Amino acid sequence: MRWRLLLWGLLYLPASRAQGIDPDLLKIKNRMDSIVQFSASLKLNVDVSFINMPAKYARMSYTKGKPLKFSSEDFVMIPKRGLDFSLNSLMEFPFITVPRGEEIRNGKTYKAINIIPTDKRADFSIAMLLLDIKNNRVAETEINTKKDGTYNLLLQYENSSKVLPSLVEVNFEIEKIRIPLNFMGKDTDIDRKKMRTGGSKSGKIFLQISNYLIKYL
Amino acid sequence: MIISGNDLSKSYNQRKVLDHVSIGCDAGEICGLLGANGAGKTTLFKILLGLVTPDTGTVAVRSASNKKIGGIIEGPALYEYLNAYENLKIFGSIQGVDVSKKALQQCLESVGLPQDRLDPVRNFSLGMKQRLGIAIALLNNPACLVLDEPFSGLDPLGVAALRNLVVDLAAQHQLAIILSSHIIEELSKICHTLYVIKEGRMVNQGPAQELITNNTTTYTICADNIENSLALKAYETRFKGSCAHIHITADRVPELIFQLHEEGIYISSCVPELNMEKLFETTAP
Amino acid sequence: MKALIKAEIFKLLRQSKTWYALAALLMIEGVILFSAYFQGKNILDILLDNLKKSFYFEGTLLNGNLLVYLILNTLWFHLPLILMIIVSGSLTAEYKDRTLQTIMLQPVSKWKFILSKYIVAIGFTLAVVGMLALTSFTLSYGLFGKGDLIVYLNTLNFFPSGDAFVRLQYAFVSGALSMVFFSVASLTLAVIFREATKTWIVSSLFLILSNLLLKVDFGDTIFNRVFFAKLNDTWQNFFYFNINWTLVYTNSLLLCGYSLLFMAIGILLFHKKDIG
Repeated sequence: MRWRLLLWGLLYLPASRAQGIDPDLLKIKNRMDSIVQFSASLKLNVDVSFINMPAKYARMSYTKGKPLKFSSEDFVMIPKRGLDFSLNSLMEFPFITVPRGEEIRNGKTYKAINIIPTDKRADFSIAMLLLDIKNNRVAETEINTKKDGTYNLLLQYENSSKVLPSLVEVNFEIEKIRIPLNFMGKDTDIDRKKMRTGGSKSGKIFLQISNYLIKYL
Repeated sequence: MIISGNDLSKSYNQRKVLDHVSIGCDAGEICGLLGANGAGKTTLFKILLGLVTPDTGTVAVRSASNKKIGGIIEGPALYEYLNAYENLKIFGSIQGVDVSKKALQQCLESVGLPQDRLDPVRNFSLGMKQRLGIAIALLNNPACLVLDEPFSGLDPLGVAALRNLVVDLAAQHQLAIILSSHIIEELSKICHTLYVIKEGRMVNQGPAQELITNNTTTYTICADNIENSLALKAYETRFKGSCAHIHITADRVPELIFQLHEEGIYISSCVPELNMEKLFETTAP
Repeated sequence: MKALIKAEIFKLLRQSKTWYALAALLMIEGVILFSAYFQGKNILDILLDNLKKSFYFEGTLLNGNLLVYLILNTLWFHLPLILMIIVSGSLTAEYKDRTLQTIMLQPVSKWKFILSKYIVAIGFTLAVVGMLALTSFTLSYGLFGKGDLIVYLNTLNFFPSGDAFVRLQYAFVSGALSMVFFSVASLTLAVIFREATKTWIVSSLFLILSNLLLKVDFGDTIFNRVFFAKLNDTWQNFFYFNINWTLVYTNSLLLCGYSLLFMAIGILLFHKKDIG
């Protein structure tokens, strides 16, 4: 019986596979896991030098164990990283955590930890989290992916009790578009210097999330 | 004179096409302009109609009408894809003429065109197109009509019909009509006055019959046994079959016919032959 | 004057070549629409290739707005070609058939006659552009729906559907001014050359040269800003994120000025020349 329980635990509690997991992180993870379902309104603002896009609106819905769903009347660009509030994408494969002390942001103190996956299948090499211990939630995440560059997420909350953020700022790297000459639209002014020095740029997306409808365990 | 062109000259690329030419026509008069191809008839008409500006000279038209002069140059120019009514309507409406159906029907009737033809003008015969061209030229009641080679390309019936129309227009509407041709027979039958143009110069002019008579030096008289006539020995004669081409002036023809009758030679025809060389000889100062 | 204009409109609409031209334009538009659909896929793939690494896309950019934009890109070469044939033909045919002579034999003022031809040419051009705008929007939206418009003009610009629709309409209006310029120019060429084939050749040459010179950069000079060939892509200014209205108004006024200049030259020459 005990062996069966252990096996069951091993299979259905991924967090338990990791060794040396920061207890504060676990606490936050458990809090996130208590959310079975939620839906919210999303307002996206893109801040990339070579993209002009007005604010976009969408609805997002999350059901535990399933991918995030988005719906919108307009065309929207959803960042691949940055909307995984459940931290499942970081904890999908075995990992270890390494404490990095404390960091101060805007006068507040946060606990900094690194998440390092021990399984080669993980799509990131290292992630840094800033944990808001007092309010039991994540304040900032920096993920170094293996293929898609580095993402930095800044999360802001409406008040101290909220577990889901009201504002997420996603910072990412993106390559400037290279379009063949005379391809489409007006002939662009060719700035050869810019073209040569062009390459990876950074971009930001601001996600304002509101009208949460949350279903807990 | 309803219309008069005085001392008109025109050159194209240093080539003199008209050289101090004068012409005139009165109300109800039909004036003919006779000349070979390239003599300057069309250029003169274009100047009279205001399409071309002369280098020298003036054109005067005595008329109170909005449209002083109508005409056809080098054949009728019509909108081939439109029917007769529509052609009249286009040309009539742009000059403020009544283009009601009744008015258009009257126009067609006045030139002898059928009123039930609704197909495009490209299906018309040349004679019908000429008539429609004249109908368009007559829109807005001009005082004068100028027709450039109107008989050109018409069959004998068409020529006869058009001739009758021209005569009616001059007589009934008192129009001054100037028409040109290079064939004297067409002009001689209807013109009151004849003008003869050669290489851009007016070489002869006067009452048509007088001009023709004065320049007719040969008559072809046909009769049985004419070659046996003694009276003909007094004249320069060529015989061809039962006809004799006799070099004789018009005033002596009646006497000759009488003499032939006395000899028992009864003529079946007597056709004057105009001496074109003489007609086109320069006589005008 | 009204009678002359009415007569010109009547003649234009009664000629079969006008209807052939309109049918040809609709066919061209249809072909452009469907080729734009396939071209659009490729374009979107290339434009969004870099972004796909970082983003998911929700909603489709391959919609009616993009297709109307792609139609606009090619329309402004094909359309003036056909317009110039019809407009210049309205005068060269009269020379050839000598109906011009018949008209001048009526008490009609020469300058009024040729002015009426210019007015009808302008009206016809605007009507054709309007027709193409209506059919483009109807077909594109009907078959491919609405959605955001993506345009690459140094930056990737995304326009919401409603905004895109307004910008596309402005683009058609601006393009219509260019088309009027070419129509007026072709009629003036018809006054100069009188004969249909010569006029077509010179008009086509004029159009091709204008398109080629559009791409030549004359530097930051006044010439580069006011030369007529440079004004024909004013419509593109509506697809910058922030529309430079000053530039749009200036270019539009200049184009109108050039059209009036060509018209004045044509009227003057026609009035001076003998018809016979």
